[in-house]
Amino acid sequence: MIFSFRPLANLEFVDMSVKKSWPRAIEYLLTFLVIITLNFSLPRLMPGDPFLHLSGEAGEIVEAYTEEQRRYFLEYYGLDRPLLEQYWNYLGELARGNLGFSYYYKEPVVNLIARRLPWTLLLVTSATLFSLLFGVLLGSFSAWRRGRWQDRFLYLFMVVFGEIPAFLIGLVLLIFLAAGLGLFPLAGAMTHFARYASFWEKLKDILHHAVLPVLTLTLARTGGIYLLVRNSLGTVLTRDFMCTARAKGLAEFRIRYRHALRNALLPLVTRIALQMGTMVGGAVLAENVFAYPGLGRLMRDAVFVRDYPLLQGIFLVLAMGVMGANLCVDLLYRRLDPRTKTVNVGDMKNWQDSAAEDR
Amino acid sequence: MPMYNKLTAFKVLVGGAITGNIRNFWRQLSAFGKVSHLILVSLVFLAVFSPYLTLYPHNVSSGPPLAPPGGKHLLGTDELGVDLWSMICYGARVSLMVGLFTSLLAGLGGGMAGVIAAYRGGWLDRTLMRIADIMIILPDLPVMIVLAAFFGPSLRNIIIVLALFSWSIPARLIRSQALALKEQPYIKMAAHFGGSTAYLLFKHFLPELFPLLLVSMIRLAGMAIVTEASLSFLGLGDPTSRSWGLVINHAMNFRGIYFTPFWKWWLLYPWLFLTLLVSSLALLGRELEKIADPRMMKS
Repeated sequence: MIFSFRPLANLEFVDMSVKKSWPRAIEYLLTFLVIITLNFSLPRLMPGDPFLHLSGEAGEIVEAYTEEQRRYFLEYYGLDRPLLEQYWNYLGELARGNLGFSYYYKEPVVNLIARRLPWTLLLVTSATLFSLLFGVLLGSFSAWRRGRWQDRFLYLFMVVFGEIPAFLIGLVLLIFLAAGLGLFPLAGAMTHFARYASFWEKLKDILHHAVLPVLTLTLARTGGIYLLVRNSLGTVLTRDFMCTARAKGLAEFRIRYRHALRNALLPLVTRIALQMGTMVGGAVLAENVFAYPGLGRLMRDAVFVRDYPLLQGIFLVLAMGVMGANLCVDLLYRRLDPRTKTVNVGDMKNWQDSAAEDR
Repeated sequence: MPMYNKLTAFKVLVGGAITGNIRNFWRQLSAFGKVSHLILVSLVFLAVFSPYLTLYPHNVSSGPPLAPPGGKHLLGTDELGVDLWSMICYGARVSLMVGLFTSLLAGLGGGMAGVIAAYRGGWLDRTLMRIADIMIILPDLPVMIVLAAFFGPSLRNIIIVLALFSWSIPARLIRSQALALKEQPYIKMAAHFGGSTAYLLFKHFLPELFPLLLVSMIRLAGMAIVTEASLSFLGLGDPTSRSWGLVINHAMNFRGIYFTPFWKWWLLYPWLFLTLLVSSLALLGRELEKIADPRMMKS
């Protein structure tokens, strides 16, 4: 009987003992170091010599470097020094904001990233906001109508929809809304070579191009938030203080928003942080579906032209962004919920988190 | 430790999974759960018997390019005249293999890490859980892209990296459950009566934790399949594997495919099968979570 086993008493999913000895700051520092170290060691772990890559594509006549040239280049790039010293130099360059030089675009990586980053930020932030908005609205609607047909319909819809990955949704939108009906542009973030009469016209063009990628990401992310809000609001509604609020004769609006929803939204804060990684991954895919000129698109291009410094720079920026968001949420959570001195974001994202949505 | 106890535990585990209460299990599923279960079973069937279900090879041209569905080619052909139905059948192998091996590796490895962390405690527990935290925060798709770019996108590499990045989910789950289990009176009693570590693990911990692990492995499989498809869609998957994501990638690279009728088969069918597989895995996982986790029964 595999699928019906004895319930366990005292299910404590978050034990607090581990946390005390590890302050959050150290953990972030550690993660930070892991990312940087990964970035540092990848090209050094890669099979083959870096100068083989420099010397030509496969099939071409490869001009082999003489031993002398090889040594010159090793010295030039500082690869002849001890690994620890290389690592130290790498950290120093990073601290100065130097991410290297792109082979393909012949430009410092930082400049390239700075030019593309705003587009990705636009997608990620607006999709986060919209999915929050719709998720909270629909989730609370569902929780207040729990068990009725509206709730059941929405729940089913969200469960099915919430599981389809972003790029599959994006493809459908691209074919039907952009190509089929011609409502939205097929690619890009702005119309090429367009001259705008005013700032507003430019803004309109940008928004018009952003609609589909943002819609894709929003559709892919709303399901999770909806389920979380529905369930956490569902539990809050059964609490005693809801009864008290009603007994006090408070207005329905006040009960719903000040008393119920406010309490139900706390788990959402951690959820948003944990979703940042998935959201960034989704943005990378959505940008590639819609040929949107953000970092994700650049990342793919970098892979195809074998522009490793650029690739690593983008990875570093994306990882740092996700970590930064997590850090912000950690700090915010402590402000929002005075009951917790420390909350471990990582602890919330276990399997139970997604399972608890169904309660 | 008497041999027969180990055997009983094993029987409970395996016998239960295979023969026990399949009807009962089926009855507990909702209509959607049943449908997704059927879809999964038929996709597995497609993958296993693909050589017998297809008339044409999946990797070389066998007809006119871009032929519409019907006639000789059930689902039409792609740009090079390769039969789409064959590609779908063999592509199911890739997706299911990635899902199966990743969830096995990550599930068993993560489960083991979780049990050990909970059982031993101390520095081992702390270190393992911190690593798990770091793995959770790192954005996995960009990491996969970077690793695929550096180490070459073979299917084996993809599976290994996916497993490395997803073991933390079962590890955390199993650890928390095992911690709770450790405090149970009957386990303490067994330990006081002199039950060895191996005995406790096999007789008490494993049977309790295995169903949960199995359910979380279904989730892992779904995630792995999505990630592999995403990578292939970006053109970074194993170029020799012919997965569904790669078919979509090729179709997308065909200039202006949206304005031609070709997308109605070339893009539609891989899309459809991928969506079916992913959403039925997710739905089934959700159902099983409800059944396996007694706390869910309250609602």
